[in-house]
Amino acid sequence: MPSTRTTGRRGASRGAPLLRLRVGFLLIAVVLSFFGARLVQLQGVDPQSYALRAAAEGGVRVTLEAERGDILDRNGVPLADSIKGKMVIADPSLTADRATELAQLLSERLSIDYFKALTALRGRKEGSRYEYVARRVPSTLASDTLAELDAAGFTGISLQDDPIRDYPSGDVAANLLGYMGTDEPLGGFERTFDKQLAGVDGEATWQSNSGKGVRIPLRESTLKAAQNGQPLRTTIDRDLQWFTQKVLAQAVQQYKAESGAAVVLDTRTGEVLALADVPTFDANAPTEARSEDDLGSRAMSDTYEPGSVQKVLTAASLIDAGKAFPRQRFKVPPNLARQDRVIGDWFDHGTIRLTLAGIIAKSSNIGTVLAADAFSPVELVQYLRAFGLGQRTDVGVRGETPGILTAGEAMTSQTKDRVAFGQSLSVNVLQMAAAVNTIANGGVRVSPSVIAGSAVTDDGVTVGTDVATRTRVVSKQAARGTAKMMEKVVDPEDGVAPRAQVPGYLVAGKTGTAQRVNPETGLYDSTSLSFGGFAPADDARFTVYVVVHAPKVDGGGGSVAGPVFSRIMGYVLGRYGVEPTNGTPSRLPVEW
Amino acid sequence: MSSPALQPRTRVTRIAQEAVDKARLTVVPRVRTRAPRVPFMTLVSLVLLAGIVGLLLFNTSMQQASFTASSLEDQADTLAAREQTLRMELDELRNPQRVATEAQAMGMVIPSAPVFLDLETGKTVGARTPTTRENALDLDPPAPILPANLAPAPVVVEVPAVPTTEQRKNRNR
Repeated sequence: MPSTRTTGRRGASRGAPLLRLRVGFLLIAVVLSFFGARLVQLQGVDPQSYALRAAAEGGVRVTLEAERGDILDRNGVPLADSIKGKMVIADPSLTADRATELAQLLSERLSIDYFKALTALRGRKEGSRYEYVARRVPSTLASDTLAELDAAGFTGISLQDDPIRDYPSGDVAANLLGYMGTDEPLGGFERTFDKQLAGVDGEATWQSNSGKGVRIPLRESTLKAAQNGQPLRTTIDRDLQWFTQKVLAQAVQQYKAESGAAVVLDTRTGEVLALADVPTFDANAPTEARSEDDLGSRAMSDTYEPGSVQKVLTAASLIDAGKAFPRQRFKVPPNLARQDRVIGDWFDHGTIRLTLAGIIAKSSNIGTVLAADAFSPVELVQYLRAFGLGQRTDVGVRGETPGILTAGEAMTSQTKDRVAFGQSLSVNVLQMAAAVNTIANGGVRVSPSVIAGSAVTDDGVTVGTDVATRTRVVSKQAARGTAKMMEKVVDPEDGVAPRAQVPGYLVAGKTGTAQRVNPETGLYDSTSLSFGGFAPADDARFTVYVVVHAPKVDGGGGSVAGPVFSRIMGYVLGRYGVEPTNGTPSRLPVEW
Repeated sequence: MSSPALQPRTRVTRIAQEAVDKARLTVVPRVRTRAPRVPFMTLVSLVLLAGIVGLLLFNTSMQQASFTASSLEDQADTLAAREQTLRMELDELRNPQRVATEAQAMGMVIPSAPVFLDLETGKTVGARTPTTRENALDLDPPAPILPANLAPAPVVVEVPAVPTTEQRKNRNR
């Protein structure tokens, strides 16, 4: 031991080492007391703020963006999908000096406005350190551009996650899908089913030394994974939807109409295969829409008077109640004086002798009123309610109107007369299509659905094919009888709409030429031309309903909406491989 | 003890009795063997050094792995983004509007009614109707009608004609 070795010298210089020792101890004590004081200060006084500062120093906190769920068509084709995107952010304190060069480069690469980029790079406000230069830039393009900027020696530009919502088919089903605003959904399914689509953002934190996101291993890090949004599957068939929109748009343009709508329903399941609105908009560029009204679905939100298509509902109800039959004979006078006004027909005639089938085929208002005399208002309204009129279809489309159907008890007999042939009540397009579909489906009304499976709307209503209901409205015989009468409508000799025929198929349908109220003036100054029908008539697979509002060119439901119906029906039958049934055409007499 | 071990013991007692008596147990001074310190210290130092170096290497390799991880993560992100962009492009190529435009440019037209061909009998089902150019769809959407503030009426400025040199000459005459 060293101490034993120094024993010899211990006596000689005893004072010095002791002093040294004491001084040494004192120094150590002083230093340790500093440490102690610092320890108390760190741990005792305000440990939280120091912990936070430490975390902030090298801590990285990243929001893990949840990927928004796709909106799919019935075959799984995306109608709306999300891709990774970046927002380009400038720090004006670094970019202001070379703003013009940067702005030119950025505007070229990212296809953005040069002057807007320049303003952002110079800072919109004095002393600003954070300016958006571009948003929703595809990730690859953004990082390539940033790499190029780095190589050219520019600083002050950074990227942050900013997912892009893309609608690959542009305007296809745009009125149903809705669109995204800068940070939130602004309409359609995007908004109604936002909870399901949005998912939940996650978060990751870790310690980093370089600020470049490299983690310090073994240091505290947390990870809360993002829950991606769930896809929403619709019953829409993308290609059919596209075709329907194109054919409808062509008719609307040709007849200089204000708007138009068309629906294709699967007769047996009530699935909406297409729901077209014209005019429409490009979901990728909602701000370029012609008018704000084009952004929603007019087919669902606008009411109109259905006109003569309604007659088939009246006739089916009468047959079901045992108060009429297809061969029943009516003497139809040139006009019919009822309490407050005279009811006329669309064509001039003397007193003609029509069967009920003839009344439908020739679309006689007077005949329908005479037939409906067997009904009290209460009875008629009861049937129409069962067909789904006057109440929302609740398929999950925003802003749906319930339409207007006066309660039977409050309905005067004049109103009842007009309701029987489709005026003085109003509907939305899907309501009417579902009502016609009831006849096609043998008298059983299947509630229509646009969502495959089920989904919950923002109002908490569960919608979709899983919750579709079936209710019998009229008997099978009544529905068959009505369908037979509807076949006569497209008959080249007896009917008013031969152009609604689909070559090779038995088609049943009904035209509608209704007076339309101008929403601005409140006057009946234009028409709504419609055609609703199904094919094959003896074993219906699809129901198509078309309506064209306020055409500036003269025409009726048969000549304007009929060809659109025929085109859509021909396409859908071919697309789903439905062969002609070779059934016998209706041989009901129209006159007697 | 086993029996073979007992035999020598009895023999020793018999033969070397004297020697055994002489060999009395006595207390002897304890021999303190000082184990050499150097090897031990070296060993401990080496273990310590190896530990420290090992830890350092381990840490370094972890750091290295962290760098590799984040660069691989970046790469994965970039590739995922590229894949998504490509998928988006593919979806846009599959856009029915584009397909129809191309098809119509090639002279294809959607027929107004389908006809089915039975492959076994060779017969067709359905009405055979000619499909002509008139069945072609109008694929171009109508040009959007711009609001008044974006499509202002052209400004017409009437400029008084500047007299040509000939006119001027004539006037001068």
